[in-house]
Amino acid sequence: MRGPLVAYLVAAAAALALALAGGSAARTAGVTLAINVLIGASFHVVLGPVLGERERKTLAFVMTLPVTVVDVTVAKLASAFLLFVGPAVLAAAATTVALPSLTTILGSTAGAGPSWTLLAGWVGYGSVAIGAWMLFFAAVLGTALVTESVGWTIGVLTGSVVVVGNIVLQVLPVLPGASAYIRSIAQRGPALSATIGIEVVGLAAVVALIVGLQRRKTSFV
Amino acid sequence: MSEPIIRVRGLAKQYPRFALRDVTFEVGEGRVLGLIGPNGAGKSTLLRILMGLVRPDAGEATVLGWPMPASERAVKLRTGFVSEDMALYGAATLRWHMDLVRAMYPDWDELRARDLTARFGLDPAQRVRDLSRGQQVKALLLLATARHAELLLLDEPTAGLDPLARNDLLTLLTESRGERRGAIFSSHIGADVAALADDVAFLFEGRIVAYGPVAEFVEGGRTLERAFLDHAARTRDGRAA
Repeated sequence: MRGPLVAYLVAAAAALALALAGGSAARTAGVTLAINVLIGASFHVVLGPVLGERERKTLAFVMTLPVTVVDVTVAKLASAFLLFVGPAVLAAAATTVALPSLTTILGSTAGAGPSWTLLAGWVGYGSVAIGAWMLFFAAVLGTALVTESVGWTIGVLTGSVVVVGNIVLQVLPVLPGASAYIRSIAQRGPALSATIGIEVVGLAAVVALIVGLQRRKTSFV
Repeated sequence: MSEPIIRVRGLAKQYPRFALRDVTFEVGEGRVLGLIGPNGAGKSTLLRILMGLVRPDAGEATVLGWPMPASERAVKLRTGFVSEDMALYGAATLRWHMDLVRAMYPDWDELRARDLTARFGLDPAQRVRDLSRGQQVKALLLLATARHAELLLLDEPTAGLDPLARNDLLTLLTESRGERRGAIFSSHIGADVAALADDVAFLFEGRIVAYGPVAEFVEGGRTLERAFLDHAARTRDGRAA
């Protein structure tokens, strides 16, 4: 995993650099690259350590160690998130700073004030975006762990990218009321803590569901 | 009389084309049980249930005094298990696997591990994917037997081994017998069971059709294979009648 992980980190950093470079073409390239990093990194992280373990018979080896299925599930979740979080933070930041609508809203919020207000807005909305991508990854990882199916995992992956990548990051900023919501996030208002709270609760619920479904498995060979 | 180290009552497991049915037996302290049966008889399923790799549909199993699968961590900590269901991580070396097992088991014996590495002709620095199938089996056996496990569960341990390695394994299991509280191993080779086991159970079509001391079945020079065939035929005849 080391080689691919370094590659994803470099690509995500390049995406962020393109997004910050300015210019419509550079921003588009940055967002496209960032989305591809998020898709590629999420699938790559689950592909090796999760999918195919039963067929490769390494799952049986692991389950003969003094561990329970909950131990193994929690370990895979933790390690997968740790691998994913680096590229994800950079790539999510790239998608955030590259959104013209978001920049317009945050710019009008900052007004004539210091540029750190604009930066705070990006950081706030970026945190929300990162949380959304973590939820996306949890859904993909959970599907891989529970179903052990490449088909189902790809299905959830592509579906989640449509939801998170397009609706949340492209559609949401231009909806009526979105400006007020984004301003509230930029000004560290109640919307920021509420959104992050919902994402944390959502993530905890997904993790609990994954662990619960894993405990119901009756065979590890 | 001490408690049996393994107690199984009415164990059952249903698969689409096979069922383990109403399996009941005990393994006494210090005893070695051999499981003999044809392919698909349920030997592997039974061992998997005892190790917690498969959950039974019905029945109870107690291993080393702990109920399974509720106490699987405690049982696995004290049990060595080898089966063709298992494989090591191909990209990692044998040494990596030895370090992993050593970190997880306080009863790991590094001196014995080195001795077994030499006996089996293995190179710890070699990646698992570069080992032949037979060498991978030896590696699994090394990881299971380089510990002072209280119980050994071995599913066809000599399958895939060359004659020298098979002899080494049988010698190792015999020499180290006093360190353990018991063992169960399955085999197609009656001679291996006769050499190592105190008791034998014949599995046929998901049921135990005969159980008892090895000596009883090999009376009069009969082989265990012959004894099994006789019992299997009686079971079939009994059903036909």
